[in-house]
Amino acid sequence: MFLTRAEYDRGVNTFSPEGRLFQVEYAIEAIKLGSTAIGICTSSGVVLAAEKRSTSELMVSSSVEKIVQVDRHIGCVTSGLTADARTLIDRARVECQNYWFIYNEPMPIESCAQAVSAMAIQFGDSSDGGSAMSRPFGVAMLFAGINEGVPQLWHMDPSGTYVRYGAKAIGSGSEGAQQTLKDEYHKDMSLQEATKLAMSILKQVMEEKLESKNVEVLVMKPNEDFRMFSKEEVEREINAL
Amino acid sequence: MHKIQSFPEYQVPGAQHQDFSPYESNGGSIVAIAGEDYVVIAADTRLSSGYTIHTRKQNKLFQLSEKTVLGSTGCWCDTLALTSLVNARMQMYEHLHLKTMSTEAVAQMLSILMYNRRFFPYYVSNVLAGLDSEGKGVVYSYDPIGHCERTTYRAGGSAGTLLQPVLDNQIGGKDRDVKNKPKVPLEKAKEVAKDAFISAAERDIYTGDSVILKVITKDGITEEEVQLRKD
Repeated sequence: MFLTRAEYDRGVNTFSPEGRLFQVEYAIEAIKLGSTAIGICTSSGVVLAAEKRSTSELMVSSSVEKIVQVDRHIGCVTSGLTADARTLIDRARVECQNYWFIYNEPMPIESCAQAVSAMAIQFGDSSDGGSAMSRPFGVAMLFAGINEGVPQLWHMDPSGTYVRYGAKAIGSGSEGAQQTLKDEYHKDMSLQEATKLAMSILKQVMEEKLESKNVEVLVMKPNEDFRMFSKEEVEREINAL
Repeated sequence: MHKIQSFPEYQVPGAQHQDFSPYESNGGSIVAIAGEDYVVIAADTRLSSGYTIHTRKQNKLFQLSEKTVLGSTGCWCDTLALTSLVNARMQMYEHLHLKTMSTEAVAQMLSILMYNRRFFPYYVSNVLAGLDSEGKGVVYSYDPIGHCERTTYRAGGSAGTLLQPVLDNQIGGKDRDVKNKPKVPLEKAKEVAKDAFISAAERDIYTGDSVILKVITKDGITEEEVQLRKD
């Protein structure tokens, strides 16, 4: 007699008879509670745009970091449990520095995503008695970076799967956003068009009104280091919508 | 007999004390010269130990990739250990990052691998030659504990001190106006490398027999061998 789902979804290292790991699937669900983030890759650069939710009028919105720098050539946006995200971002930063230290060149974006995904799947019982995570990380990440002069966008989810995308949305509004991206995105769109598209999708899917204080924008271009949009630049983008 | 009692146990007369000497110099020299779109690297083929020649045809150039060649001399067992470690690490890199290591990346990694043995170093003289990511010729030279310097020409190994001033004069143009550094054509670089070895073989007993010369260009790597003194 097969056990019910309710019993198979307890352990992170037990497959259900249908071959599913429910805890991983639930972790993927956890991302859908997070705020929306969008990444669009063009031939001249990658844009990341993210919603910042403020739970209180008294909260200082600038203290919420959605888009972070991983290395000079890689930016990252996360959706899901913020505390889990910090652990993974720390790993990404360490891996990038380690790669640079050993090979004296910037880490490929794929290798960075791979290094982080290796950590993301180290949940369950650790065989070496180390400090393994007892549950999957409830975080999805978008890595935007420049790889040997070529802009790239990579997505990683709690199952440790990492895939390169032309355009990808994560978080609560991701379903609607992904549909719009599917309709609007094309490979030879300009960086300006991509930025505008990302902003307008955010505007559609956000519950709050789109303002410079509740959105973060990053544009990564070849031959340029990580730099986020200033408040003024974000406002200019919002006004142009 | 009462005197013996005061000796420490390990200094009893007649006891044989063996020094720990893990290193040996097996000789050999390297010359590398980089140009705008090529790099030449040459090493002699004599492998010796004191006055004994182990072999007259030991290649000391290790092709690491299509664009990178490492010349390594000194303690031959350390050369073998180091180069096989470099090869293994390059293979691992290729599997992990899905691309071949650039010359610059090999250069940095080699430095770190050698410094990892800071207190029991690989007793080797390394010269790394290759094309950089822009296709330019480049030479990296190392000390035994991993200090790395990027240059355009370098001599290393047992006759390194004999060969370097020849290169300074013929390739570096050190005797000339600094502003008008001559560009060295490939043919001249090859001739200087060969001549330098012929001269070094006259004085250095650890350099001789023949010299293997590799030329790396964007079209690939070619190899030629020139005979040297065999005495």
